[in-house]
Amino acid sequence: MHVPDGFLPLGVTLAGYAGAAAVTALCLSRIARRPDPRADMPRVAMLTAAFFAGSLIHIPVPPTSVHLLLSGLTGVLLGWFAFPAILVGLFFQAVMFGHGGITTLGVNALVIGLPALAAGALFRLRGAGGPARDAVFGFAAGGGAVLLAAGFFAAVVIAGLPAHLDGELERRAIGVLALAMLPLAAIEGAVVASIVGVLRRVDPGLLRGV
Amino acid sequence: MWAAARAAALATALATGPSAALSHAAIVQAAPVQAVAVHATYDTGEPMAEAQITVFAPDNPAEPWLRGIADGEGRFVFVPDPIPGRWAIQARTAGHGAMAYVTLDAEAAEAAPLVVAAIAGGGIDPLQRWVMAAAVIWGFVGTALYFRRRRG
Repeated sequence: MHVPDGFLPLGVTLAGYAGAAAVTALCLSRIARRPDPRADMPRVAMLTAAFFAGSLIHIPVPPTSVHLLLSGLTGVLLGWFAFPAILVGLFFQAVMFGHGGITTLGVNALVIGLPALAAGALFRLRGAGGPARDAVFGFAAGGGAVLLAAGFFAAVVIAGLPAHLDGELERRAIGVLALAMLPLAAIEGAVVASIVGVLRRVDPGLLRGV
Repeated sequence: MWAAARAAALATALATGPSAALSHAAIVQAAPVQAVAVHATYDTGEPMAEAQITVFAPDNPAEPWLRGIADGEGRFVFVPDPIPGRWAIQARTAGHGAMAYVTLDAEAAEAAPLVVAAIAGGGIDPLQRWVMAAAVIWGFVGTALYFRRRRG
Protein backbone atom coordinates (compact mmCIF):
# COMPACT_ATOMS: atom_id res chain seq x y z
CA MET A 1 0.00 0.00 0.00
CA HIS A 2 3.06 2.22 -0.32
CA VAL A 3 3.67 3.70 -3.76
CA PRO A 4 7.42 3.49 -4.49
CA ASP A 5 9.64 6.07 -6.13
CA GLY A 6 9.53 6.23 -9.90
CA PHE A 7 6.00 4.89 -10.29
CA LEU A 8 4.08 8.14 -10.56
CA PRO A 9 4.40 11.15 -12.86
CA LEU A 10 6.12 14.21 -11.41
CA GLY A 11 2.88 16.19 -11.40
CA VAL A 12 1.12 13.60 -9.25
CA THR A 13 3.96 13.49 -6.72
CA LEU A 14 4.02 17.29 -6.47
CA ALA A 15 0.24 17.38 -6.06
CA GLY A 16 0.64 14.73 -3.35
CA TYR A 17 3.11 16.91 -1.46
CA ALA A 18 0.83 19.93 -1.79
CA GLY A 19 -2.15 17.96 -0.53
CA ALA A 20 -0.21 16.45 2.34
CA ALA A 21 1.11 19.89 3.35
CA ALA A 22 -2.42 21.29 3.36
CA VAL A 23 -3.78 18.44 5.47
CA THR A 24 -0.81 18.65 7.85
CA ALA A 25 -1.39 22.39 8.27
CA LEU A 26 -5.07 21.75 9.02
CA CYS A 27 -4.19 19.07 11.58
CA LEU A 28 -1.58 21.26 13.28
CA SER A 29 -4.02 24.15 13.50
CA ARG A 30 -6.55 21.88 15.18
CA ILE A 31 -3.88 20.50 17.49
CA ALA A 32 -2.78 24.03 18.43
CA ARG A 33 -6.27 24.73 19.78
CA ARG A 34 -5.79 22.12 22.45
CA PRO A 35 -4.95 23.48 25.90
CA ASP A 36 -1.71 21.46 26.20
CA PRO A 37 -0.73 19.69 22.97
CA ARG A 38 2.54 18.50 24.56
CA ALA A 39 0.58 16.38 26.98
CA ASP A 40 -0.42 14.09 24.12
CA MET A 41 3.10 13.66 22.76
CA PRO A 42 3.97 10.42 24.63
CA ARG A 43 0.91 8.74 23.18
CA VAL A 44 1.60 10.15 19.71
CA ALA A 45 5.22 8.96 19.82
CA MET A 46 4.25 5.45 20.90
CA LEU A 47 1.52 5.12 18.26
CA THR A 48 3.93 6.41 15.62
CA ALA A 49 6.32 3.64 16.65
CA ALA A 50 3.53 1.07 16.36
CA PHE A 51 2.55 2.36 12.93
CA PHE A 52 6.18 2.33 11.80
CA ALA A 53 6.76 -1.24 12.95
CA GLY A 54 3.41 -2.47 11.66
CA SER A 55 4.62 -2.54 8.08
CA LEU A 56 7.22 -5.13 9.07
CA ILE A 57 4.59 -7.62 10.21
CA HIS A 58 3.52 -9.62 7.19
CA ILE A 59 0.41 -11.75 7.02
CA PRO A 60 0.31 -14.42 4.30
CA VAL A 61 -2.86 -14.19 2.22
CA PRO A 62 -2.28 -16.62 -0.69
CA PRO A 63 -1.27 -16.01 -3.41
CA THR A 64 0.33 -12.92 -1.88
CA SER A 65 0.98 -11.45 1.54
CA VAL A 66 0.00 -8.20 3.16
CA HIS A 67 1.42 -6.21 6.03
CA LEU A 68 -0.32 -4.48 8.88
CA LEU A 69 -1.28 -0.89 8.20
CA LEU A 70 -2.63 0.28 11.60
CA SER A 71 -3.96 3.51 10.14
CA GLY A 72 -7.38 2.89 11.70
CA LEU A 73 -5.87 2.34 15.14
CA THR A 74 -3.75 5.48 14.73
CA GLY A 75 -6.78 7.51 13.73
CA VAL A 76 -8.97 6.22 16.57
CA LEU A 77 -6.39 6.87 19.27
CA LEU A 78 -4.73 10.02 17.92
CA GLY A 79 -7.46 12.00 16.16
CA TRP A 80 -5.91 15.04 14.49
CA PHE A 81 -2.43 13.88 15.52
CA ALA A 82 -2.83 10.85 13.27
CA PHE A 83 -1.89 12.48 9.99
CA PRO A 84 1.40 14.06 11.17
CA ALA A 85 2.24 10.82 13.00
CA ILE A 86 1.66 8.78 9.85
CA LEU A 87 3.72 11.24 7.82
CA VAL A 88 6.66 10.74 10.19
CA GLY A 89 6.18 6.97 10.23
CA LEU A 90 6.05 6.81 6.43
CA PHE A 91 9.24 8.85 6.18
CA PHE A 92 11.12 6.38 8.36
CA GLN A 93 9.60 3.39 6.54
CA ALA A 94 10.81 4.82 3.22
CA VAL A 95 14.28 5.74 4.44
CA MET A 96 14.99 2.60 6.45
CA PHE A 97 13.27 -0.14 4.49
CA GLY A 98 12.35 1.28 1.11
CA HIS A 99 8.62 0.92 1.84
CA GLY A 100 7.21 3.66 -0.32
CA GLY A 101 9.49 6.43 -1.49
CA ILE A 102 10.64 9.94 -0.75
CA THR A 103 9.16 11.45 -3.92
CA THR A 104 5.87 9.67 -3.20
CA LEU A 105 5.82 10.54 0.51
CA GLY A 106 3.05 13.11 0.04
CA VAL A 107 0.90 10.74 -2.01
CA ASN A 108 1.39 7.91 0.48
CA ALA A 109 0.58 10.23 3.39
CA LEU A 110 -2.73 11.07 1.73
CA VAL A 111 -3.46 7.45 0.78
CA ILE A 112 -2.93 6.19 4.33
CA GLY A 113 -3.41 9.32 6.44
CA LEU A 114 -6.80 10.46 5.16
CA PRO A 115 -8.42 7.08 5.99
CA ALA A 116 -6.89 7.41 9.47
CA LEU A 117 -8.58 10.78 9.96
CA ALA A 118 -11.82 9.29 8.65
CA ALA A 119 -11.49 6.37 11.07
CA GLY A 120 -11.03 8.78 13.96
CA ALA A 121 -14.07 10.79 12.91
CA LEU A 122 -16.15 7.62 12.54
CA PHE A 123 -15.17 6.37 15.96
CA ARG A 124 -16.12 9.67 17.58
CA LEU A 125 -19.60 9.31 16.08
CA ARG A 126 -20.30 6.41 18.46
CA GLY A 127 -21.26 8.83 21.23
CA ALA A 128 -21.77 7.48 24.71
CA GLY A 129 -22.51 3.82 24.30
CA GLY A 130 -21.70 0.53 25.87
CA PRO A 131 -18.81 -1.84 25.19
CA ALA A 132 -20.62 -3.45 22.27
CA ARG A 133 -21.11 -0.10 20.57
CA ASP A 134 -17.45 0.75 21.09
CA ALA A 135 -16.43 -2.59 19.62
CA VAL A 136 -18.65 -2.18 16.56
CA PHE A 137 -17.38 1.32 15.84
CA GLY A 138 -13.81 0.23 16.54
CA PHE A 139 -14.14 -2.65 14.09
CA ALA A 140 -15.70 -0.41 11.45
CA ALA A 141 -13.00 2.23 11.91
CA GLY A 142 -10.11 -0.25 11.78
CA GLY A 143 -11.42 -2.25 8.84
CA GLY A 144 -12.83 0.73 7.00
CA ALA A 145 -9.49 2.55 7.09
CA VAL A 146 -7.81 -0.41 5.40
CA LEU A 147 -10.42 -0.63 2.66
CA LEU A 148 -10.42 3.12 2.09
CA ALA A 149 -6.63 3.18 1.85
CA ALA A 150 -6.73 0.26 -0.59
CA GLY A 151 -9.23 2.17 -2.74
CA PHE A 152 -7.09 5.31 -2.72
CA PHE A 153 -3.98 3.27 -3.52
CA ALA A 154 -5.64 1.51 -6.45
CA ALA A 155 -7.01 4.79 -7.81
CA VAL A 156 -3.62 6.53 -7.64
CA VAL A 157 -1.73 3.62 -9.18
CA ILE A 158 -4.20 3.14 -12.02
CA ALA A 159 -4.39 6.89 -12.70
CA GLY A 160 -0.61 7.11 -12.89
CA LEU A 161 -0.16 3.99 -14.99
CA PRO A 162 2.53 4.61 -17.64
CA ALA A 163 1.52 4.01 -21.24
CA HIS A 164 4.27 1.44 -21.77
CA LEU A 165 2.84 -0.96 -19.20
CA ASP A 166 0.21 -3.59 -19.83
CA GLY A 167 -2.76 -1.92 -18.17
CA GLU A 168 -4.94 -5.01 -18.16
CA LEU A 169 -2.27 -7.11 -16.44
CA GLU A 170 -1.63 -4.41 -13.84
CA ARG A 171 -5.33 -3.95 -13.12
CA ARG A 172 -5.71 -7.69 -12.66
CA ALA A 173 -2.79 -7.72 -10.20
CA ILE A 174 -4.33 -4.80 -8.30
CA GLY A 175 -7.60 -6.74 -8.16
CA VAL A 176 -5.82 -9.68 -6.53
CA LEU A 177 -4.21 -7.30 -4.04
CA ALA A 178 -7.58 -5.70 -3.28
CA LEU A 179 -9.04 -9.11 -2.47
CA ALA A 180 -6.11 -9.75 -0.13
CA MET A 181 -7.05 -6.55 1.70
CA LEU A 182 -10.36 -8.04 2.86
CA PRO A 183 -8.80 -10.40 5.45
CA LEU A 184 -6.45 -7.60 6.50
CA ALA A 185 -9.41 -5.29 7.02
CA ALA A 186 -11.06 -7.92 9.22
CA ILE A 187 -7.84 -8.40 11.20
CA GLU A 188 -7.27 -4.69 11.73
CA GLY A 189 -10.92 -4.19 12.61
CA ALA A 190 -10.61 -6.90 15.24
CA VAL A 191 -7.36 -5.38 16.53
CA VAL A 192 -8.94 -1.96 16.97
CA ALA A 193 -12.09 -3.41 18.55
CA SER A 194 -9.96 -5.41 21.01
CA ILE A 195 -7.73 -2.49 21.94
CA VAL A 196 -10.76 -0.25 22.38
CA GLY A 197 -12.27 -2.88 24.66
CA VAL A 198 -9.13 -3.07 26.79
CA LEU A 199 -8.72 0.71 26.98
CA ARG A 200 -12.34 1.10 27.97
CA ARG A 201 -11.60 -0.98 31.06
CA VAL A 202 -8.14 0.25 32.01
CA ASP A 203 -8.02 3.88 30.79
CA PRO A 204 -11.24 5.21 29.25
CA GLY A 205 -9.71 8.66 29.01
CA LEU A 206 -7.64 7.52 26.07
CA LEU A 207 -10.83 6.98 24.05
CA ARG A 208 -12.20 10.46 24.52
CA GLY A 209 -10.35 11.63 21.48
CA VAL A 210 -7.58 14.14 20.98
CA MET B 1 8.60 -14.02 -77.90
CA TRP B 2 8.21 -12.44 -74.44
CA ALA B 3 5.10 -14.50 -73.85
CA ALA B 4 7.00 -17.66 -74.68
CA ALA B 5 9.84 -16.66 -72.35
CA ARG B 6 7.43 -15.94 -69.45
CA ALA B 7 5.74 -19.28 -69.98
CA ALA B 8 9.10 -21.05 -69.94
CA ALA B 9 10.12 -19.25 -66.75
CA LEU B 10 6.82 -20.15 -65.06
CA ALA B 11 7.21 -23.77 -66.04
CA THR B 12 10.71 -23.83 -64.63
CA ALA B 13 9.57 -22.27 -61.36
CA LEU B 14 6.72 -24.73 -60.94
CA ALA B 15 9.05 -27.60 -61.68
CA THR B 16 11.85 -26.58 -59.31
CA GLY B 17 9.98 -24.64 -56.58
CA PRO B 18 8.61 -27.44 -54.39
CA SER B 19 11.76 -29.50 -54.48
CA ALA B 20 13.86 -26.44 -53.63
CA ALA B 21 11.64 -25.69 -50.57
CA LEU B 22 11.85 -29.23 -49.31
CA SER B 23 15.59 -29.17 -49.52
CA HIS B 24 15.99 -26.17 -47.09
CA ALA B 25 18.32 -27.04 -44.26
CA ALA B 26 18.03 -25.67 -40.75
CA ILE B 27 21.07 -24.01 -39.27
CA VAL B 28 21.13 -23.36 -35.54
CA GLN B 29 23.94 -21.28 -34.16
CA ALA B 30 24.67 -21.00 -30.46
CA ALA B 31 27.13 -18.65 -28.87
CA PRO B 32 27.66 -17.35 -25.35
CA VAL B 33 26.42 -13.83 -24.93
CA GLN B 34 26.39 -11.24 -22.24
CA ALA B 35 23.09 -11.33 -20.36
CA VAL B 36 21.46 -9.65 -17.43
CA ALA B 37 19.44 -11.82 -15.08
CA VAL B 38 16.78 -10.03 -13.07
CA HIS B 39 15.33 -11.63 -9.96
CA ALA B 40 12.48 -9.56 -8.59
CA THR B 41 11.36 -10.36 -5.07
CA TYR B 42 9.53 -8.63 -2.26
CA ASP B 43 11.49 -7.82 0.86
CA THR B 44 9.89 -10.86 2.46
CA GLY B 45 11.69 -13.04 -0.07
CA GLU B 46 8.52 -13.86 -1.99
CA PRO B 47 8.97 -13.73 -5.77
CA MET B 48 7.21 -11.01 -7.73
CA ALA B 49 5.48 -13.55 -9.94
CA GLU B 50 4.58 -12.32 -13.41
CA ALA B 51 5.85 -8.83 -12.65
CA GLN B 52 6.05 -6.48 -15.59
CA ILE B 53 9.69 -5.81 -16.43
CA THR B 54 10.72 -2.64 -18.22
CA VAL B 55 14.31 -2.11 -19.33
CA PHE B 56 15.76 1.32 -20.13
CA ALA B 57 19.01 1.59 -22.11
CA PRO B 58 21.69 4.09 -21.03
CA ASP B 59 21.34 6.15 -24.21
CA ASN B 60 17.60 6.72 -23.81
CA PRO B 61 16.33 6.49 -20.24
CA ALA B 62 12.96 7.98 -21.19
CA GLU B 63 11.80 5.28 -23.61
CA PRO B 64 11.61 1.59 -22.70
CA TRP B 65 14.22 -0.46 -24.54
CA LEU B 66 12.51 -3.73 -23.72
CA ARG B 67 9.31 -4.86 -22.04
CA GLY B 68 8.55 -8.29 -20.72
CA ILE B 69 7.00 -10.35 -17.98
CA ALA B 70 8.89 -12.23 -15.30
CA ASP B 71 8.21 -15.90 -14.72
CA GLY B 72 6.50 -17.35 -11.68
CA GLU B 73 9.71 -17.03 -9.69
CA GLY B 74 10.15 -13.38 -10.59
CA ARG B 75 13.04 -14.14 -12.96
CA PHE B 76 13.70 -12.43 -16.26
CA VAL B 77 16.77 -12.59 -18.49
CA PHE B 78 17.64 -10.28 -21.34
CA VAL B 79 20.61 -9.70 -23.59
CA PRO B 80 21.49 -6.01 -23.70
CA ASP B 81 22.85 -4.25 -26.75
CA PRO B 82 26.54 -3.37 -26.52
CA ILE B 83 25.81 0.06 -25.11
CA PRO B 84 28.06 0.95 -22.20
CA GLY B 85 26.53 2.78 -19.26
CA ARG B 86 23.88 2.27 -16.63
CA TRP B 87 20.93 0.14 -17.61
CA ALA B 88 17.79 0.64 -15.56
CA ILE B 89 15.38 -2.21 -14.91
CA GLN B 90 11.98 -1.74 -13.32
CA ALA B 91 9.90 -4.60 -11.94
CA ARG B 92 6.32 -3.79 -11.14
CA THR B 93 3.11 -5.56 -10.19
CA ALA B 94 -0.01 -4.23 -8.46
CA GLY B 95 1.60 -0.87 -7.84
CA HIS B 96 4.53 -2.46 -6.02
CA GLY B 97 8.04 -2.85 -7.29
CA ALA B 98 11.40 -1.22 -7.55
CA MET B 99 14.10 -0.05 -9.90
CA ALA B 100 17.41 -1.85 -10.21
CA TYR B 101 20.50 -0.80 -12.10
CA VAL B 102 23.35 -2.63 -13.77
CA THR B 103 26.35 -0.89 -15.28
CA LEU B 104 28.07 -2.21 -18.38
CA ASP B 105 31.47 -0.71 -19.02
CA ALA B 106 32.92 -0.43 -22.52
CA GLU B 107 34.91 -3.66 -22.21
CA ALA B 108 31.99 -5.64 -20.86
CA ALA B 109 29.70 -4.29 -23.55
CA GLU B 110 31.98 -5.64 -26.23
CA ALA B 111 33.02 -8.81 -24.45
CA ALA B 112 31.84 -12.09 -25.81
CA PRO B 113 32.00 -14.29 -22.69
CA LEU B 114 28.83 -14.78 -20.71
CA VAL B 115 28.54 -12.28 -17.90
CA VAL B 116 25.45 -12.53 -15.77
CA ALA B 117 24.52 -9.87 -13.27
CA ALA B 118 21.87 -10.99 -10.83
CA ILE B 119 19.64 -8.35 -9.36
CA ALA B 120 17.42 -9.11 -6.44
CA GLY B 121 15.15 -6.87 -4.45
CA GLY B 122 15.32 -6.46 -0.70
CA GLY B 123 19.00 -6.42 0.15
CA ILE B 124 18.52 -6.31 3.92
CA ASP B 125 18.61 -9.50 5.95
CA PRO B 126 15.92 -10.01 8.61
CA LEU B 127 18.24 -9.44 11.58
CA GLN B 128 19.49 -6.16 10.13
CA ARG B 129 15.92 -5.16 9.40
CA TRP B 130 14.76 -5.69 12.96
CA VAL B 131 17.81 -3.98 14.45
CA MET B 132 17.05 -0.95 12.30
CA ALA B 133 13.41 -1.08 13.32
CA ALA B 134 14.38 -1.33 17.00
CA ALA B 135 16.62 1.72 16.65
CA VAL B 136 13.81 3.82 15.21
CA ILE B 137 11.28 2.53 17.73
CA TRP B 138 13.71 3.37 20.51
CA GLY B 139 13.79 6.90 19.16
CA PHE B 140 10.01 7.13 19.40
CA VAL B 141 10.06 5.66 22.91
CA GLY B 142 12.68 8.20 23.90
CA THR B 143 10.48 10.97 22.55
CA ALA B 144 7.55 9.64 24.55
CA LEU B 145 9.63 9.44 27.73
CA TYR B 146 10.99 12.92 27.19
CA PHE B 147 7.57 14.50 26.99
CA ARG B 148 6.28 12.35 29.83
CA ARG B 149 9.15 13.52 32.03
CA ARG B 150 8.47 17.16 31.16
CA ARG B 151 4.89 16.70 32.26
CA GLY B 152 6.03 15.16 35.54
